[in-house]
Amino acid sequence: MRIGFIGLGRMGKGMAHRILSGGHDLAVYDVATQATVEFAKGGAHVASSIEDLCKDREVVITMLAEDAAVHEVALGRGGLCASLPAGAIHMASGTYGIATIRALETAHAKSKQTLIAVPVLGRPDLAASGQLGLVPAGPKEALERCEALFKLMGRRIFYAGLKPESASAIKLANNAVLGCAITAMGEGFSLVRKHGVEAKVLYEVLTEGLFAGAPAYVGYGKTMVDESYHKVGSPITIGMKDAILIAGAANLAHVPMPSHDVYLERLLGAIAHGDGDLDQAGLAREQSRASGLE
Amino acid sequence: MSEATRLRVGFIGLGRMGLAMANRLLGAGHDLVVFNRSPEKAADLVKAGATLAPSVKGACEGREIVITMVSDDAALREVTLGPGGIRESLAPGEIHLAMGTHAVAEIQKLAAVHNEAKQILVAAPVLGRPDMAATGQVSIVAGGPSQSVKKCDLLFQVMGRRTFQCGERPEHASITKLANNFMLGCAIGAMAEGFSLVRKYGVVPQVFYEVMTEGLFAAPSYKVYGKIMVDEAYDKVGFTTLLGLKDFGLIMAAAEAARVPLPSGNAFRDRLLSALAHNDGNKDWAVVGREQARASGLE
Repeated sequence: MRIGFIGLGRMGKGMAHRILSGGHDLAVYDVATQATVEFAKGGAHVASSIEDLCKDREVVITMLAEDAAVHEVALGRGGLCASLPAGAIHMASGTYGIATIRALETAHAKSKQTLIAVPVLGRPDLAASGQLGLVPAGPKEALERCEALFKLMGRRIFYAGLKPESASAIKLANNAVLGCAITAMGEGFSLVRKHGVEAKVLYEVLTEGLFAGAPAYVGYGKTMVDESYHKVGSPITIGMKDAILIAGAANLAHVPMPSHDVYLERLLGAIAHGDGDLDQAGLAREQSRASGLE
Repeated sequence: MSEATRLRVGFIGLGRMGLAMANRLLGAGHDLVVFNRSPEKAADLVKAGATLAPSVKGACEGREIVITMVSDDAALREVTLGPGGIRESLAPGEIHLAMGTHAVAEIQKLAAVHNEAKQILVAAPVLGRPDMAATGQVSIVAGGPSQSVKKCDLLFQVMGRRTFQCGERPEHASITKLANNFMLGCAIGAMAEGFSLVRKYGVVPQVFYEVMTEGLFAAPSYKVYGKIMVDEAYDKVGFTTLLGLKDFGLIMAAAEAARVPLPSGNAFRDRLLSALAHNDGNKDWAVVGREQARASGLE
């Protein structure tokens, strides 16, 4: 297939390499041009602009960090809507808000293009080895056309439904549950510590019992026990960005989410204390502070 | 079993968990005297070689360790401090091993009382269900003076798969057990919110369940309770909303005593309360999935 790929960050890079290794005709674009060098060596066409990238493409994949970026790339001057051929597919693979996905969907439809949302689950190393989880949603025919691409990028494909926003909702809800788990763990650790029990004991009870096998608890819990918040996977500021998208989705659909609200408040408090660049497990420190432990 | 490792054990409280645990002790060859308010529950144990005591006192006399597995703090207080209770009947130097889930303040109080009577309180609440207790697969969180915990360990090895040493004071075990339940409740509450959110965007709950349990949340808690929510099988009760609320009462009391705000816990506790308000008190506590759906205008 003739594929375009925009956004060669840590995740996008791995995904684009998988597409290339699958023998597809790949064109790439990134504002940071040095990111494209390795792809030129691998035989990809390095586009000079989004417009250039869109020529003859059947599918363009975007893997961008923020709603504003995908908005600009798709709807801006010389963007995907203006440049993609009719009948082409825009596969939006980042984590985006519902309102953004709806705006893209409408704009692409006007240009006789199709939007599918395919947020991914996993880290850069899993992206590089094609072991991601993929959550695709959109019109059935478009999903079928992209299935070969899904299989190159992901180990497990969770079809979310016929509307792109369904995929966004799943990704956001998954992040919400994670945020709540991190927050609750912080509370649990403060509770036992104040009663004279070492955090490590609760960690073992949790991860050898009810929460055994869950990376969310095993990973973030360990960071809390070690207080190694400076080894950053996903920082608190990124958590905040996602939490705002989640709250937006909840607002739009009229879903009160009190546990998630608690998470959002802890994120804000952590940022207020200058901890925005710490790993999200650093919310445990914010909880400790609130408990008079720091 | 050698005489050195064969312990003289009293066992008070033969509910579903207690019965299974007492059976394990008997099976391992310990000398077991049991007491239960309804003595007919002890019939099978007696057939298997246990002695039925007519009173709490009878279950304490000559015993090295007396285990209590009673349902709440009031029952524990009664068998411990009441006339003919453990405090009066257990010889100095011997151990009261409290294995139910109890308030931190209650355990602290009983520890002081036993201390005055020169007895030792060890708290060792159990994690797991009756079927796990029957096969010795529960986990045990233990707290108390290390010498005494070590003696009890002979029994723990028979009753459980894994024992966690929480600290030198019995309440260390209580708070650890409560924190574990706290984490479970919060996970249930968060999952419920996630399910309501995706449903509002046209997602089949099963898909979200798979995303969670094959990814970040591949753990028994999410698998078991997520499944109940997907199937809306709230009538198949493992642990009721009412019992959940009772536990969260103990958790919040411990949090207040130690000055620890628990906002996630409060959010979940309020959902439990609403579930009660909608007459779902005797459903499985995963019914907060339905309560959350109600709050979201989905029911």
